[in-house]
Amino acid sequence: MKSYISVNQKNFRRSNLYKFIKQLDLQMFAFIGLAFLIVFSYLPMFGIIIAFKEYKISSGVSGIFSSKFVGLKYFVEFCTDYRFGELVRNTLVLSTLKLVFAFPAPIILAIMISEAGNSFFKRLVQTASYLPNFISWILVYGISTALFSESFGVVNQVLKNLGIIEKGIPFLTRPDLFWVMAVVLSIWKSSGWWAIIFLAAISNIDPNLYEAAICDGAGRLKRIWYITLPGIKGAIITVLILSLGSFLGGGMVGSNFEQSFLMGNNVNNSTSEIIQTYAFKMGMAQGRFSYATAVDLMQSVISITLIFISNAVAKKITGEGLF
Amino acid sequence: MKKTREDYIVDTVNYILLTIVAFITLYPFYYIVVCSFNDGVDLMRGGVYFWPRKFSIASYKQFIQDSSWINAFFMSVARTVVGTLISVTVTCIFSYGLSRKKLMFRKYYILAVVITMYFSGGLIPYYVLLRNLGLLNTFWVYIIPGTVNTFFTITGINFFSSIPESIIESGYMDGAKELQVFWRIIVPVSLPFIATLSLFVAVGHWNSWLDSAYYVRDRRLHTLAYKMMTTLNKIMASSSDANTAGQISTANTTTNFTVQATAMVISMVPIMCVYPFLQKYFVQGLMLGSVKE
Repeated sequence: MKSYISVNQKNFRRSNLYKFIKQLDLQMFAFIGLAFLIVFSYLPMFGIIIAFKEYKISSGVSGIFSSKFVGLKYFVEFCTDYRFGELVRNTLVLSTLKLVFAFPAPIILAIMISEAGNSFFKRLVQTASYLPNFISWILVYGISTALFSESFGVVNQVLKNLGIIEKGIPFLTRPDLFWVMAVVLSIWKSSGWWAIIFLAAISNIDPNLYEAAICDGAGRLKRIWYITLPGIKGAIITVLILSLGSFLGGGMVGSNFEQSFLMGNNVNNSTSEIIQTYAFKMGMAQGRFSYATAVDLMQSVISITLIFISNAVAKKITGEGLF
Repeated sequence: MKKTREDYIVDTVNYILLTIVAFITLYPFYYIVVCSFNDGVDLMRGGVYFWPRKFSIASYKQFIQDSSWINAFFMSVARTVVGTLISVTVTCIFSYGLSRKKLMFRKYYILAVVITMYFSGGLIPYYVLLRNLGLLNTFWVYIIPGTVNTFFTITGINFFSSIPESIIESGYMDGAKELQVFWRIIVPVSLPFIATLSLFVAVGHWNSWLDSAYYVRDRRLHTLAYKMMTTLNKIMASSSDANTAGQISTANTTTNFTVQATAMVISMVPIMCVYPFLQKYFVQGLMLGSVKE
């Protein structure tokens, strides 16, 4: 009888449950964080079902389950909305412009900085270049008002003094200038920060390669083209994949929402309104929660598809995906 | 090594371009400072570029005397301090726990973290959640929902994984429990990382405005960033007419714009002081789409 119990105890000691109880304090470490994730990240995912229902905000949590199921009604409504084409166009144009212009900018900047021999000047430029990354879009918007305002902006003042223009250009309100301004400002804000990654990659290139190239008579530009660029190919591809994955949000500079939200106004609305800001306004300002969720969900589904496609492409090219 | 002609040309062009880059990056910041120290009405006449023409600290006085600005400033300070304390504590405990190889179900927990990086419920369900939790229109809506950030957690897991197991083992030898090991051994050796993480979280709180704009209606709870946004919208709405770009009163020559510039300077200065310290640990983190096992 005695030995029977001890065998049982031995089994228990080897069991997972015992191991789990033994490390319960460590498990608590994990639970603290997981609790936040479950409440603030996972619960909203279940909330997506209101996109398929006639949800009223006043009905609270129980309303999510009890409200009437309407299927794809709101998805159809959005796709047949008179603004649908315009919103999709604005979202795609803004994202594409950022991918084309904001993606290469930090690579060029990093190469330029690495080619500057003088170490103090080099450090000064590099440190300065990533300052804008850390200020909020509100400040960027405020600074751009000071620089580009039609009546008192510095740029307009200078252009007027030089006699290039007679009347101020409303850079921040003209619909045809919104995309240009948005892309220029995101390049200004983020290039320096992303350049750090490419600079790190450049510093990992074997210096012997450069010396060998010099012996072969390769000049500076040839060395950049044949050694530096291939040397940072890995970093370029990784960042490109990250950019493609978040394409609809604005790629790695990821600021479509903030920009459209802050710099959008009644005058430039025809080019500045994107799917996300539209969803936000429908939900928050007009209280059409189910409709807004449906609109937002459509964008998310496209985004997630893009993540998986870019990851699959990455696996094919580099043999290593992001997940 | 002798410089060739190509070297000279490349260097010259490169230095000129980099000087332009530095100017374009820094001048806007400098110009805002100039605006904040220039007389408001005088500034609207134009022609101020590199130095205040009519030096004045009236905008700063106006900022300090205006209770709504000062209140917004202290609200930003409060959310930054409280939010950073809570968020950094929880993030460190969480990511340290997940960094321990012996943690059971570790893989699933990390997967649960990584999933939140790619999937989210979106704006509206999030709002519905906050509403039902009773967080709307409270100070805690700034703090609690953002306590655990996926990106910081993953960076933390990477950092804590790099601490040698032998250090932790030595703690167990002395009979310490997990919490003691964490507090007495891990935290002291991780101070540089924790400091950098704190700065990162603090900058995020200081800059945050969307939550103030949409989850809080009570004016007393509005932050500096949000107050700047509303003032900017006012300025933009009236900027077609320079005279209304907002002289505050006839007795006072500050304008909405110069007070706004002052607020911007006040909100920029803390960031300018800490940002060079922010790149350590987090640049590599940017590249990590997942935790490499």
